[in-house]
Amino acid sequence: MRGGGAARVIPLAAAGAAAAAGVLILVVAADAPSRARERATRAEARAAASLYELPGVTEADVLSLLDGRARIVAPEAGGSGPGAHAYRAGALEPDAWIAVEPQGGGSRWPWAASALALLGALCMAGWAAGRRRSPPPPRYPAAPALLCAALFALVAITAQHWSRGELEAISASRVGLGLRVAEIAGASGADPEAAARAAGLPWASGAALDEPDRIWTMPREVGEAIAAGPGLRSAPRYTVVAAGATYHGGTVALDRGPGVRAQTADDTVHLVFLGYEETTSPAVALIASALGSALIVSLVLFLLPLAARPRALSGTLAAWGFLTPAAALLLLFTFGPLLFSLWISLHDWRLVDPAHPFLGLANYRALLSDGAWWSAVRNTGVFTLHVPLAMAVALSLALLTRESRRAVRWARLALFLPSITSVVAIAVVWKWLLNDGYGLANRALGAMGLGPVAWLSSPDIALVSLMVIGVWMVVGYQMVVFQAGLAAIPRVWYDAARVDGAGPWQRFRHITLPGLRHTLFFVLVTSVIGSFQVFGLVYVMTEGGPLGATDVAVYHIYREAWEFLRFGNAAAMSWVLFGVVFAATWLHFRFLERRSAHA
Amino acid sequence: MTREPRAVVLKRVRKRFRDVTAVADVDLEVHPGELMVLVGPSGCGKSTLLRLIAGLDEPDAGEVWIGDRCVDEVAPGGRDVAMVFQSYALYPHMTVAENLGFGLRVRGAGPAATEARVNEVAGVLGLRGLLSRRPGQLSGGQQQRVALGRAMVRDPGVFLFDEPLSNLDAALRLETRDEIAALHRRLGTTMIFVTHDQVEALSLGQRVAVMDQGRVHQVGTPHEVYRRPANLFVAGFVGSPPMNRLRLVRDREGRLAGGPFVFPGGSPHREATLGVRPEDLTLAVVAPPDPDPNPEFTATALRVESLGSEQRIRLDGPGEAAWVARAPSALHVTAGDRVAVSVAWERTHLFGADGGRIGAAPRPVRGSRP
Ligand SMILES: Nc1ncnc2c1ncn2[C@@H]1O[C@H](COP(=O)(O)OP(=O)(O)OP(=O)(O)O)[C@@H](O)[C@H]1O
Ligand SMILES: [Mg+2]
Repeated sequence: MRGGGAARVIPLAAAGAAAAAGVLILVVAADAPSRARERATRAEARAAASLYELPGVTEADVLSLLDGRARIVAPEAGGSGPGAHAYRAGALEPDAWIAVEPQGGGSRWPWAASALALLGALCMAGWAAGRRRSPPPPRYPAAPALLCAALFALVAITAQHWSRGELEAISASRVGLGLRVAEIAGASGADPEAAARAAGLPWASGAALDEPDRIWTMPREVGEAIAAGPGLRSAPRYTVVAAGATYHGGTVALDRGPGVRAQTADDTVHLVFLGYEETTSPAVALIASALGSALIVSLVLFLLPLAARPRALSGTLAAWGFLTPAAALLLLFTFGPLLFSLWISLHDWRLVDPAHPFLGLANYRALLSDGAWWSAVRNTGVFTLHVPLAMAVALSLALLTRESRRAVRWARLALFLPSITSVVAIAVVWKWLLNDGYGLANRALGAMGLGPVAWLSSPDIALVSLMVIGVWMVVGYQMVVFQAGLAAIPRVWYDAARVDGAGPWQRFRHITLPGLRHTLFFVLVTSVIGSFQVFGLVYVMTEGGPLGATDVAVYHIYREAWEFLRFGNAAAMSWVLFGVVFAATWLHFRFLERRSAHA
Repeated sequence: MTREPRAVVLKRVRKRFRDVTAVADVDLEVHPGELMVLVGPSGCGKSTLLRLIAGLDEPDAGEVWIGDRCVDEVAPGGRDVAMVFQSYALYPHMTVAENLGFGLRVRGAGPAATEARVNEVAGVLGLRGLLSRRPGQLSGGQQQRVALGRAMVRDPGVFLFDEPLSNLDAALRLETRDEIAALHRRLGTTMIFVTHDQVEALSLGQRVAVMDQGRVHQVGTPHEVYRRPANLFVAGFVGSPPMNRLRLVRDREGRLAGGPFVFPGGSPHREATLGVRPEDLTLAVVAPPDPDPNPEFTATALRVESLGSEQRIRLDGPGEAAWVARAPSALHVTAGDRVAVSVAWERTHLFGADGGRIGAAPRPVRGSRP
């Protein structure tokens, strides 16, 4: 019957899934070196062509550059395989086609990882086959999934190790190439700039050095080697003043940004030899593919035993089917970005620089001494003081409107409106109301004979103005929550207190406040969190000004990311803010738990 | 006893809630030191009346006097009353000690004086060990005691109880009822006790005020209310099972008659109602050879309910409506038996067409034998 069919299918399917997962990892691992090798071959052809174009360089020089892997043929003969056109000085048509044979050496396929993956697939098949013969459902369904994840993590690590070795070898050969080009060019009498260009190394001098996007990535040793290279002997001595970068093989510590600067002894910057193509290691892709394959395999392992019982299988499939969209959305749009920003915060991540060297906690450490950030944090703290004020107002209003008569209900509606209106619309209107010149507020003051107030343009007042608007915005919402909280306090407590002789204030103090304490706490925490995240008001009304007086944390983060394009710093700030908000929320829940244990 | 008990007097007090008249022109006088029970069916206005006395509601008309002053303008806290609520209304965020002391503290008593008084009352009520607990950590009976204690602490001139026993189980209710009676004897304070349970009312009250639909129908001692109910409502409400009734109509000879009975003498009433309490009927099983010598009527037992100490027997007569009789458990009756019934006429009631009591019914001239 069905059971028999499933018995045959299960081991096959499990082995197949495991094998597919393994292949996925291996393909990902093999992809990076193979592309790097392609790029390297093209770069070699370009370097050979540049060398060929230099006056005084002979064809033998060019051929010696690549140890005989290059051939110089007629331009028409080119086009098949990697290579580059070469021009002699002043020519419009290419003079030659330098065809390059890809570099051999190294192992082209991660054999060890493949063997591991094969072993994994066999294990899976064996396990699944064994499972079929023991009828009871698995005690620990997570165990095979964990084993599977561990195995594929091992496959991924092996593949990553292999891939890294490949990339290192390619990079080393490229460094050697640059140095040899510079050497040959120098020996043939070319000037340093021409030699550097021929070597494919960026060249800059004077003011151009200060352009950040001219700073490329290269290891310190490479920079030093180039600076001391024979082709550059005509230039003065160079010292490396700022160095460090990520290249495929490892990290060199950074002082400021990535890059190597060569500087003359008399402090005039003459040259920058920065750069060579960076290769990215496929670690992230590998981790992702390992996780993905573990997921797939464990899903198969989880579902297959159910195949023997079609009813259970379809039920489970349906349940997962219903769960999938929500789970996928959550993963994709909540946890994904969250983890990504955490990743970014640990790196030097700028939009202008394709390299994102790992910094550890340096971004966070830098925050500690970042005055602008702390000023934004302080402004956020000051702004948050509007919350208790708003709560006092809201509570008073809620008490006043306790007996809900119709007029009062209209007032309630009016006060609640700001809570459901777009922040931008509110901000625009308020900006207009508080305009220094034509704003309604100042005109009203003028009519009363009072001088105009620089609501939004004075550093002393702007934040206070925003706080007043903040109060106005949240008071309706808070009032409605308080009204609900008040309605939940039994009248009979007030009756008892009145008979006990408590006056209005004592009833408020001893009945209303204790009865509202959960509500108060809830409103306080949610409003404080909301206040920590204030952005729209500041963005529309003051843009953090004047003089940074209203620069709040989220707005600061926004500017750091989208104006200064320093995503690493911005992400670190976001996580600090997240930590604060998280702490506040955690306290909230701790308090609620403790309180409800008493109530 | 620590202070002069106060009288409570209501003068034509009225209270309406939109279209409901909760209290309709009530006159009531509670003597100083008296335990007065307000009893009536649910929704008759007992709680409202109590709240008017406490000052928690304001009357639409009439005056409330406590002691020798009209308290209409006095806030609840100034009326020298204390109230125990049905739901106890303990403050949940305060400990038992704080609950007890609240009334003293808000009146400006010092911590030491408050603590002493709280301890004293807690000792009386056996709450000493519970002082640091919160109401949520107490049983229903303990909460009830705390509510009682909170009223006692302030040593008020008048105690108001709004169904304080209705959330307790039967045994605890009996016990607490006795304790309240004992407390009343000890303190000698005026107490007004609201209940919808007429047994509770009769057993607890020195006097009982029976209410219905916002009106007080009768005020009297439990004996008076039971033995001489002022009208049909009181007669029906007080006593369990309720009083048996028979509709009487004046016949051509001017005599009241109904069912098997014809009463002697001309009557000024066109219609009347005969009321007989179940315990005023005496039953005997009719054995064919030896019929009861002088029964008022005979009837068939429809149903026999044994309560252990006595039994309740539902009869198919004398008129259209079934009557219920109480009989000692020694009597052997089963459903379907014919029984001869005799009536203690001197304890019966005759109510006029307006429901008011006329007096006891005379012995009828004709019994049931058709
Ligand atoms: N605040 C109020 N608003 C409107 N109607 C009310 C209000 N309080 C009481 N009533 C009405 O007044 C009448 C008397 O109510 P009350 O609470 O005094 O009855 P009660 O005798 O205490 O009844 P129970 O034995 O059920 O407690 C009822 O019809 C009730 O619906
Ligand atoms: Mg009531």
